[in-house]
Amino acid sequence: MDEFTYTNIFETKGIEYIIVIAFLLLIIVFWYLINRPIKVKESINSAIGYLNDKILRIPRGIFYSKNHTWTYLEPEGYAKTGIDDLLVHLTGPVKIKQTLNPGDKINVGDKIAEIYQDEKMLEITSTLSGEVAFINEQLISQPELLNRDPYNKGWFIKIKPNNWIEETKEYILADSAPKWFQNEIERFKDFIAFSLKKNNPSSSEVVLQEGGELIDFPLAGLSTDIWNDFQKSYLKQ
Amino acid sequence: MSVNRRNFLKVLGITGVSLGTGKQLKAVPKPKSDKEFYAILYDSTRCVGCQSCEMACASANGLPEPDPEEWAEVGTVRKTNETRRTIINVYDTSKGEVYVKTQCMQCNQPACASACLTEAMHKTEEGPVIWREKKCMGCRYCMVSCPFDMPKFEFNSPNPKIEKCNMCYDRIIEGELPACVSDCPAEALTFGTRRELIVEARRRIAESPDDYYGEIYGEHEAGGTGYLYLSPVPFEEIGMNTNIQKKPYPELTKGFLYSVPTIFVLWPAMLLGLHKASKNNKLEEIENE
Amino acid sequence: MSNTKTIPADRAGQSIWSFLKYELKPKAKIFTPFNIISAPIVLLGIVIIVIRFAKGIGSVTNLTQEVPWGLWIGFDVVTGVAFAGGAYVITFMVYILNLKEYKSIVRITVLNGFLAYVFYAGALLLDLGKPWNVINPIIGNNFGVSSVLFLVAWHFLLYMLAQLVEFSPAIAEWIGAKRAHKILSGMTLGAVILGITLSTLHQSGLGALYLMAKEKIHPLWYTEFIPVLFFVSSIFAGLSMVIFEGSISQRVFSDQVSEKNHKQHNKILHNLAKICAVTMFAYFFLQILTFVHGKHWNHLNSPMGYWYLTEMIGFVLLPMILYFYSFRKHNITLIKIASVVTMIGIILNRLNITVIGFRWDAATHYVPSWMEIVVTLTVLFVEIWIFRWVVRRLPVLRESPAWAKNNH
Repeated sequence: MDEFTYTNIFETKGIEYIIVIAFLLLIIVFWYLINRPIKVKESINSAIGYLNDKILRIPRGIFYSKNHTWTYLEPEGYAKTGIDDLLVHLTGPVKIKQTLNPGDKINVGDKIAEIYQDEKMLEITSTLSGEVAFINEQLISQPELLNRDPYNKGWFIKIKPNNWIEETKEYILADSAPKWFQNEIERFKDFIAFSLKKNNPSSSEVVLQEGGELIDFPLAGLSTDIWNDFQKSYLKQ
Repeated sequence: MSVNRRNFLKVLGITGVSLGTGKQLKAVPKPKSDKEFYAILYDSTRCVGCQSCEMACASANGLPEPDPEEWAEVGTVRKTNETRRTIINVYDTSKGEVYVKTQCMQCNQPACASACLTEAMHKTEEGPVIWREKKCMGCRYCMVSCPFDMPKFEFNSPNPKIEKCNMCYDRIIEGELPACVSDCPAEALTFGTRRELIVEARRRIAESPDDYYGEIYGEHEAGGTGYLYLSPVPFEEIGMNTNIQKKPYPELTKGFLYSVPTIFVLWPAMLLGLHKASKNNKLEEIENE
Repeated sequence: MSNTKTIPADRAGQSIWSFLKYELKPKAKIFTPFNIISAPIVLLGIVIIVIRFAKGIGSVTNLTQEVPWGLWIGFDVVTGVAFAGGAYVITFMVYILNLKEYKSIVRITVLNGFLAYVFYAGALLLDLGKPWNVINPIIGNNFGVSSVLFLVAWHFLLYMLAQLVEFSPAIAEWIGAKRAHKILSGMTLGAVILGITLSTLHQSGLGALYLMAKEKIHPLWYTEFIPVLFFVSSIFAGLSMVIFEGSISQRVFSDQVSEKNHKQHNKILHNLAKICAVTMFAYFFLQILTFVHGKHWNHLNSPMGYWYLTEMIGFVLLPMILYFYSFRKHNITLIKIASVVTMIGIILNRLNITVIGFRWDAATHYVPSWMEIVVTLTVLFVEIWIFRWVVRRLPVLRESPAWAKNNH
């Protein structure tokens, strides 16, 4: 240390503090950048997980229709309708809104009910025409019935069908159901890859895992846009 | 795609700004200034205790004139205060009565200047440590830090000053001598560059080794000071503080101050990491609970 | 959300001005014992402050040229800031470690911390000789970057801002500003991280202030490890204050606290006791290490030495044992007692370094004047008044309105 002229051991402190300020600002940007793409990739990965036909419950004796509703003709003559297990597993836990009342007359393609999750909503449409006889009130207060027992206690409405034989011609019988469900799962994988890419334009890393499995409830965390897509392109065939 | 570009430009901008301003503010190592520190050598073997230096100092610095009947006495220790920048004391020693002049030591690396957060206390390139009134906020941190307890505060003024010897800086840069040096009748005070004065002090010791205690006080104390002392007796006998460390006082805060930017960088990174690691719920859920 | 007379419902569509006017009215009895005691002291304090500005600091304090920093710095600033350390510890636990069980006390702790810093920075202004020049280190006239005090001052400023950001969602909820609430809530994590970093540095920085006064502080207390010791002790000082203040607030403001939070509070106190016990255990050993490192054995056998032992054993080791025992036995009362003893220990430690041990060898010992004490109390009481005002109106102890809790 020079004892005869001026020295300053803290000479660089000023510039160091400026570097620190720059660092603190930059780390915000850095952290944001390093975290963002992974989130989209997670959605893709999470949409391609573990759902396969092995875990679905596919009881015999009921008819499935292409919009993923099922129908069962009861001995008393009422057609019990609900949504199938695949749809339940795709959406995850939902709440139900019954839009019909006993006595209403409906046609094929009319809305039976709505299922929703926060502000996302799907319409369940009818594949039968007739008069609404009963509405399942229990389902509104206990939506978990859908998950537990979609084919029995989780029924939506019972209608008195006008034209049972004609309208059930296109239905899928229980025997063909497993194969059909397998196809539907594959079709969903294609759909979800397409829909995610369409609705998250900033992600340039949309990747479909070949041979990957869907996780349970893949639609649960995704956006309203994707749900609308699902209604329009997947459910309406 | 557009967002990525935006971020990229932002990063570029910030880097550019910090590089740009950094360059301007960078303390470019000054070309070794050829300005050497001035210093004052006080030789207490020559001092007769006339206290003319006290008078000259007060008159040159606008301070109240000291009472001419107030002499230094053995047994009483007079102190500098907010009206006296320098003071003479007398001690009974093994070689008889010895006078000592006390004032700010004008350290090479002053604790007060390092402590001052507004740089009101300032070590000039010429050597004297000056107090700049306009910057001072009266926090008295300089007083806490000074090992010699030299800055004195006007406690009873609503607009208080700090008073301490500044080696008559205004006179020095005009080429004149400090007031005490020019008025000393016994030539106990000598003004020159620090280098020259140390050489002169050593010469005096070498020529009359029996008259002097063989050390120069201020050569290494506090890393070296601008006021150098010669004494006939060991310095403790004339009431000088020999507990002063031989390294500069600002170095005591070096460890702490040097670690500050490191912590500023490491802590946020570590905290972000901890946060991510313990995130078993989405953050939004916690916010909205 | 309980709806007693003291708690207004949501702003409910009133204009901001009529809402604020309504809020300005007193929410409880005016002539409480606390008010009756504090009001005259505050009035006296204001008079003393006026005298201080008219005639200089020396007219109201006992400061000397050898002891330039006294009660206002040693107690108000240095000790007060140590007690405000609860804010950075609790926000660390809630926002960094995601320990949701402490969520119910985050807001009140941050409020406490924010007010503490504001008022102790205010007290600092009283102690400055030329307070109007306090903007100099801020605007660059000059930036004394070699000074520890420069760092401490800037950190105080930035930390107050960070705490304000952390607390601002409560203000937004109070006046019903939904968009502002969303933006401010998003900034919370950043403010917390900045706050913890700043706190680490200025808690230790307050200790580092005294590093250059090597020969002026009694050797048993002076060590180059002062910054580390200050930082570690600020952790349990802050938590003890949280325990102490929490116990009082839960009673005084019990109408604000929800049923769920009431029950949870004792559990929180219990956990905090454990954290304090562990930290104090580490701190005690740090003190032993620094003592051994300093090699000041011979100083123990002196009045100051006994005082040192009193502080270390009676007010660090003893409360640590109290916390340990009360944690194991689930004794909430004992936890509260331990917190008070700890807080006294912190006051002693800080005062020992700043006032009692500082120039302990000076000719005239510094003893604070009664006027300094009155001003200190004034600052404290006004801070408590404001604290009380805020807690009675903003959603600090009570639950946030429903809209703030959902994704909005």
